[in-house]
Amino acid sequence: MSEPIPAPAPGPQLMPTGVIHDIGYRHYDGPRLGRGHALGALTLHSLRGVFGLGRTARAKIMPFLLAGVMMLPAVVSIAVMAMIKRPGLPYPAYAVTMQAVLAVFLAAQSPYLVAPDLRFRVLPLYLSRPTTTGDYVAAKLAAMALALFLLIAAPLTVLYAGELLVDLPGPPHTHDYFAALATAVVYAVLLSSIGVALASFTPRRGLGVASVIAVYLLSSAISAVLVGVLMSVSRDSAATWAWLINPFFLVDAVQVWIFGTDPNNDGGYPSGVGGPVAVLAVLAVIALCVTALVLRYRKAASS
Amino acid sequence: MTILATEGLTKRFPRVTALDRLTVTAGTGVTGLVGANGAGKSTLIKILLGLLPPTEGSATVLGLNPATQAFDIRRAVGYMPEHDCLPPDMSATEFTVHMAQMSGLPRSAARERAADTLRHVGLYEERYRPIGGYSTGMRQRVKLAQALVHDPKVVFLDEPTNGLDPQGRDDMLALIRRIGMEFGISVVVTSHLLGELERVCDHVIVIDGGRLLRSSAIGDFTQATQLITVEVEEGQQSLAERLTAEGQKVTLHGRLLTVAVGSPATFDIVRDAVCDLDLSLVRLEQGRHRIEDVFREEVSNV
Repeated sequence: MSEPIPAPAPGPQLMPTGVIHDIGYRHYDGPRLGRGHALGALTLHSLRGVFGLGRTARAKIMPFLLAGVMMLPAVVSIAVMAMIKRPGLPYPAYAVTMQAVLAVFLAAQSPYLVAPDLRFRVLPLYLSRPTTTGDYVAAKLAAMALALFLLIAAPLTVLYAGELLVDLPGPPHTHDYFAALATAVVYAVLLSSIGVALASFTPRRGLGVASVIAVYLLSSAISAVLVGVLMSVSRDSAATWAWLINPFFLVDAVQVWIFGTDPNNDGGYPSGVGGPVAVLAVLAVIALCVTALVLRYRKAASS
Repeated sequence: MTILATEGLTKRFPRVTALDRLTVTAGTGVTGLVGANGAGKSTLIKILLGLLPPTEGSATVLGLNPATQAFDIRRAVGYMPEHDCLPPDMSATEFTVHMAQMSGLPRSAARERAADTLRHVGLYEERYRPIGGYSTGMRQRVKLAQALVHDPKVVFLDEPTNGLDPQGRDDMLALIRRIGMEFGISVVVTSHLLGELERVCDHVIVIDGGRLLRSSAIGDFTQATQLITVEVEEGQQSLAERLTAEGQKVTLHGRLLTVAVGSPATFDIVRDAVCDLDLSLVRLEQGRHRIEDVFREEVSNV
């Protein structure tokens, strides 16, 4: 602080700072970007909203809590690898093991994406701009899929970095890591289309949450009961099909077929046509949900 | 310059006909679109934005066809819907910035425009608070701001004074006038109150049951609807006869007499007539230019 502070200039130059001058209305003659820009803006806005950014503090609790829980197995696995030099949770098993957390995240956050726009009727404002219902649906689906992908891929990547740093004997499981990342994309797209489609049918958030979680619980319960019954009567090959009713095991079956990873259920998946059927089923569910969404919004737009 | 034109525009829904061979044109400045609830005002705006396809007929906005060039129209037009359309958990600033981006403005420009626009509509420090806590007046301002934020050439304002108290109404109307005059943005504003629009519009279009009732410059309107209402306790009939004999245009509506004001002398004639006939005058007031008056007039002209 050797520099002398300059004395304030005397006389008329002494003006208070921070005065708002009314300079009247100014027209905008800068660039006007196209539909792609609007689509990107809506996707980013929705993605931020899924994690509660730009919303109240209360809206941030749930997504960040669940993201934290998703991270726990990675942290524990790294600790296990570092201390007892044994491999932790395998990459391809990560999403299946954490399926309940992913389902809760999907149920809690997908209604936020679509329900308020219907309930508070913000949709007409979007549609009175250069945006179509298709753009709107695409942006919302992309936002949810990105959020889910981040939720799965972030702990996988932390785990992989941990594995490289700990440097266990033997080569790192690079193939498994990338297989799990690719499967994370399938999880993200399938789950987001189911979640957003279910949530878009009601403007009430509570109902949306309940319907998404109900569909998950029902499908996993039906699948588990069927597997149990079929195993008890020793019809094991039929039991392998029953696993596919649960969307998480369905994607796991795709992973097993495409990447040759170990199945993450008891008894494996149907051999032979099982893999292609699982892929087709995933694609069919996605197509069904997207069609439902597009029809839903076409109806909402005309009312 | 014509900002919008329709030619035989018809929109039929399964149960109702919302627009029935409507042919109107509107130029720059502030245009009022008046009609009772269900007259077809909102349907017309939706067709002009390309959100609804017309059953028959054609329309143009800024020389563009809504059926094929909806995106170009929506880039150049702002729309303020009649209903609530604001998410409660966002601040006005964030919401307006987002809507500017949705109209194609880059992020930095969107921020600048949003700050400018919110200041112009009269939202200051409160714009950082969540919209959920706003009063109706403030909400209407945010709705207006999102319609103006991308600097459109035309704005469609659907019932902007809905739900406002008299002070809020005056502020909103003054703002609409400023948008039309100072900002140089053409305005199409709907209302079911003709008297309200009279104060801000250059041109008024009256529609009823989806049909054009009248379209004229505001000057013609006020002249034609300059009426006074006279209420006397009894003897309406004799007063009406007396005034008609004096050469005034009088119509009798139950207890009320409506007298067309030709010149300031009309007031004197009414006063003298009431005195001479020794009637008890209850009320003598400027007729309210209600939408019904126009309807009544049109029907009697047919």
